[in-house]
Amino acid sequence: MNPQSGPLGVLGENEEEHLTAEIRGPSIHSENPQERIQARRLRIAARLEARRREALGEYLDGKKESEEDQSKSYKQKEESRLKLAKLLLCGTELVTNIQVATDIRETHRRVEEEELRRQRLEKLENEVKTSHDKFDEITAKWKEGKEKRIPQELWEMLNTQQEHCAGLIEDKNKLINELQQELKMKDDQYVKDLKKQSDDISLLLERMEEQVKSVMKTFRQELNHIEKAFEVERQELLISNKKKWERALQAHNAKELEYLTNRLKKVEDYERQLRKQRVWDFEEYNTIKIKLEQDVQILEQQLQQMKATYQLNQEKLQYNFQVLKKRDEESTVIKSQQKRKINRLHDTLNNLRLKYAKQIKQFQEDNQSLTSEYKRLVIQYKELQKSMRHFTLIDDEKFREIWLMNEEEAKDLISRAFNIDKIIHTHHLGLPWTAPDFWFLKNVGPISQKQQKSATQILEEVLMQTEEEAAEEAGAAPESYLDLPKRVSAKTTRKILMLLCDESGFLIESKLLSLLLPLEKNECYLLRLDAIFSALGIENEDDLYTLVNFFLKYQAHHLPSSQIGPWHLSPLQDRASLASSMEPAEQLDLQGEEKQSLEEEEAPSSPRLIHPNDVLKILEAFVMSLRKPRDSRAPVKLLKEVRDNSKDSEYWKALATVVSQATENLWDGLYLALEKYHFVLTQRAKLLAENSALEQQNTELQALLQRYLHSKINEELQIPPIQVFQMPTQPKRP
Amino acid sequence: MLPVTGTQEVVTSTASPPSRSFPSTQDRPTTAGQALSSGSKVSKSSAVPPPVKSKGLNSGALVRQMRRIIAEDAEWSLATVPLLTELCIQHIVKNFKNNPLLKKLLPQHQQKVLKLLSPDLPLAVTANLIDDESYWHRCCVLRWPVCHLDSHGSWKRVFFERHLENLIKHFIPGTTDPAVILDLLPLCRTYVRRIRVDQFLPPVQLPSRPHSAGDQSDSGSEGEMDEPTMDHYQLGDLVAGLNQLEELDLVYGVKDCGMNFEWNLFLFTHRDCHSLAATIKACHTLKIFRLTRSKVDDDKARILIRSLLDHPALEELDLSHNLIGDRGARAAAKLLSHSHLRVLSLANNQVRAPGAQSLAHALAHNTNLLSLNLRLNCIEDEGGQALAHALQTNKCLTTLHLGGNELSEPTATLISQVLSVNTTLININLSCNHIGPDGGKQLLEGMSDNRTLLQFDLRLSDITQESEYLIGQALCANREEARQRTLNPSHFLSPLTAKGPENPAS
Repeated sequence: MNPQSGPLGVLGENEEEHLTAEIRGPSIHSENPQERIQARRLRIAARLEARRREALGEYLDGKKESEEDQSKSYKQKEESRLKLAKLLLCGTELVTNIQVATDIRETHRRVEEEELRRQRLEKLENEVKTSHDKFDEITAKWKEGKEKRIPQELWEMLNTQQEHCAGLIEDKNKLINELQQELKMKDDQYVKDLKKQSDDISLLLERMEEQVKSVMKTFRQELNHIEKAFEVERQELLISNKKKWERALQAHNAKELEYLTNRLKKVEDYERQLRKQRVWDFEEYNTIKIKLEQDVQILEQQLQQMKATYQLNQEKLQYNFQVLKKRDEESTVIKSQQKRKINRLHDTLNNLRLKYAKQIKQFQEDNQSLTSEYKRLVIQYKELQKSMRHFTLIDDEKFREIWLMNEEEAKDLISRAFNIDKIIHTHHLGLPWTAPDFWFLKNVGPISQKQQKSATQILEEVLMQTEEEAAEEAGAAPESYLDLPKRVSAKTTRKILMLLCDESGFLIESKLLSLLLPLEKNECYLLRLDAIFSALGIENEDDLYTLVNFFLKYQAHHLPSSQIGPWHLSPLQDRASLASSMEPAEQLDLQGEEKQSLEEEEAPSSPRLIHPNDVLKILEAFVMSLRKPRDSRAPVKLLKEVRDNSKDSEYWKALATVVSQATENLWDGLYLALEKYHFVLTQRAKLLAENSALEQQNTELQALLQRYLHSKINEELQIPPIQVFQMPTQPKRP
Repeated sequence: MLPVTGTQEVVTSTASPPSRSFPSTQDRPTTAGQALSSGSKVSKSSAVPPPVKSKGLNSGALVRQMRRIIAEDAEWSLATVPLLTELCIQHIVKNFKNNPLLKKLLPQHQQKVLKLLSPDLPLAVTANLIDDESYWHRCCVLRWPVCHLDSHGSWKRVFFERHLENLIKHFIPGTTDPAVILDLLPLCRTYVRRIRVDQFLPPVQLPSRPHSAGDQSDSGSEGEMDEPTMDHYQLGDLVAGLNQLEELDLVYGVKDCGMNFEWNLFLFTHRDCHSLAATIKACHTLKIFRLTRSKVDDDKARILIRSLLDHPALEELDLSHNLIGDRGARAAAKLLSHSHLRVLSLANNQVRAPGAQSLAHALAHNTNLLSLNLRLNCIEDEGGQALAHALQTNKCLTTLHLGGNELSEPTATLISQVLSVNTTLININLSCNHIGPDGGKQLLEGMSDNRTLLQFDLRLSDITQESEYLIGQALCANREEARQRTLNPSHFLSPLTAKGPENPAS
């Protein structure tokens, strides 16, 4: 395919593609690669087929064309070609005929020569043979000659020999002559042949020349013929084309004429229509004109108005414009000022930034130092706290000890006072004495001091209590609350704990269980609960109560709405009921706890409603919540330590005023009387004692004197003290 | 129109700095006026200002009036003074022998120089310098009245080949200096492709002439005695130097001897033979070797052919018009199977039946030979039959010449069988044989089945005119067919070409 027909070919291909795509199943754009390959192959095959058909068609067409359309020239050409081919063939044959003729002559000559040579050789051989025979004869005769003695004979014989020899020589000469003659003939023949050859060559040249000439001539002739044929054909073609052309022209002219007439008619028609249209248009135009003129007038009026408003507006706008200009100027001035300001502010900002950065650095440093300081302080503080806790503990202890000591002392004093009072009443006054009954007398230790009982202890208590209760048929219920001063009834607590014990057996080790089997029911429960609490991390009383509360709360949450009413009321009732039975300090203490778990408070509603299956869920929730508040325990504990000493003074005052004013007055009177009595008694006693002392002194002195007098030293001394004694004893004695 | 362009030119030229050689600012208006008044010439010259013209304008400052006219006449100054380039070229041509300057010149100057160079310059100067065909054409025409370019390729080649051939032709061993030829060698080695020598002169030998003239009748026996002295020019050195040589066409003989004829003049001696054999063996580029009319007998032919065995390039061997017999033919048969020979000619020799049989044996399985010429031998029916048998298996031979070989009917019958089978033969020549009318009929029968044979020469072979005519008709039909085939090769090839694109696509 040549490049010019490239785009056409591509178009054709495209068309073909479309067609084939429509017809054929496998498409080039299909998903399946196999199918695409198949499609491409088919397409190639189709294209090849088309091309082959085209080539064949072209070839056939060309042939037909040459046969039919260009018949004349083609015929002429073919004729000339054949003619020329024939001429060339004949010419070459004519020329080569000479060569062939010489060839055959040569072959004939060779054959003849062969024959002649053979004959010659035969002849020579024969000659040789005969001459040999003759020679032999002659030589044989020589021998005979030698034997001959007679000269005549010898001469005769020699003659004959000579004759023979001459004959032989003659024969030879003859032969030589013959051969020489033959040679001469050959020479002649050669000359003739040469001549013949030169003739041949000249003939050959002549023929070649002739051939060339004739060929040239015929070629020219044929060329002329062909040209003529072409000319004729061209003429014919021209004529036919001219005719066609003329015919077409005539037809064209006729048509043109027709069109012209048509056109004229149409023109007339249109003119008429135009005239009509023009008249109509004119009328319409007039009406429209009048209407438009009116419109124009109206519009002019409007225009005038508009102009007026325009003028007004213009003035207004000009004024506005002036104002705005002024403002603009002002604003530019302000803007410049602002700009300047901004610049200044920028400067300051930069300065401040620098300062700020500096400050930040400085503060960072400070911060670092302070943090280190802080850390140090924290550590110190912690240590301090530790020590403080230690000291508080110690202080508490001391306080307690001191309290106890004081209390003891006070109580001692009180008891002494009471005893004395009793003695006074009974012995001195002879009155019956009743011991006064005060709450504080029963109190031992500091007022707020209350031991945090461990869970197990409480458990024990609860269990024991309930046991007792069971035994007492719940008669002394209020008393039992004193031991367990909580808003939850021991019964519910117990029930909850029993439930817990039953449901969470998995928390107890299996070994323990086996050990527990033989024990008593209560004891068994106790141990089991102990194990469970250790597993749950419940250590003290509060934990236990939160657990119980948790159970109750959960139950309240999960109870139907009918239970909500009592739930709302319950805390108030509960508190009211409990408040009476609680000691004020306890209540206070409890309030601190209540602050964080106000909502947790529960009515001591029946725990029967807790389904055993819920126990585990409650436990889980409890463990989760227990873990959280553990962290915030420490400060709470610290808060708890701060105790209220307002009651203390009261207490102590109460202790001080245990003896009433009346009795004191009584005592005062009694005292005075007794003092007087005492004085008398003491006077008497003094005197008695003086008396007795003097007696004793006397006895002692007597004893001493005795001993001194009886000692040996007195004898050794120059002047015995006895003598001396005698002297002082004399003044002393007075 | 034209004056306007002139003014424009002036304006532009004044606007630009006076790099062009206008005289001064003062003269500007006048030159402008010239331009306006003088019209076409100024505009033309200003469009392409030659240096000469600008000079005229320069000097025109003083005598304006005169110069005005002269300056405008561009041809006036050019006609009188020849261009410097012309002068230079003339000088170069004059001194070309001493100072050959050609390659450095511009192409148009080269042409001029070549046109002016005389053809009789020494070859040492021109041979490797000038490639121009017209120059060598002139050289050829000058030296030889008749010369044409056919089959030579270029005039330079024509010149050198003919020059060399001339030298060899007139070389007389012993008297001519061999350097005459060998000096030419470096000059012509790249141009000579063919040596066609139709005479080798023998050495001059005055004393031996009467002696040899005495026994001219039996020169064959006497020739060997004189051989050492009758050697011709040894081609060895020359051929070894020509690295482009392709064709060697030699005739060991003397032309135009006239009445000085001696058999000795036409002697191809053993030494000649040996040296020639060595020469052609050494020449690996040789394609065509012809040695005709040189009295090559069996022994020499064998020597030559032995040297040609397994030659890498040889395609044509022509030993026609010699004295080669059966042994030489056998050697040629051996050569057929040991080379790429395409054309073999043993025309006008003495090959007989055994030689033809050996050739036929070689031909039977040959796939190279296209043409075999055994004209004017005597292979007779035995050899002809053998060849015909060989042609039944051969699929290569296109031309066979068996004219003048004493063939007769039996060969014709076999050849008619071959004709019906073989599809490669195009040209057969059986002229000058004794085929006879019956043989002619049989050949006609064979022709009726053949579609490829285009020429079949049966002249003077004793067949009837009728059969000859009919054979001619068949040949005509074959020729017509062949012509159609050559005219429309596309039609026959189209299926092949159509198949072409299928392979890369699939």
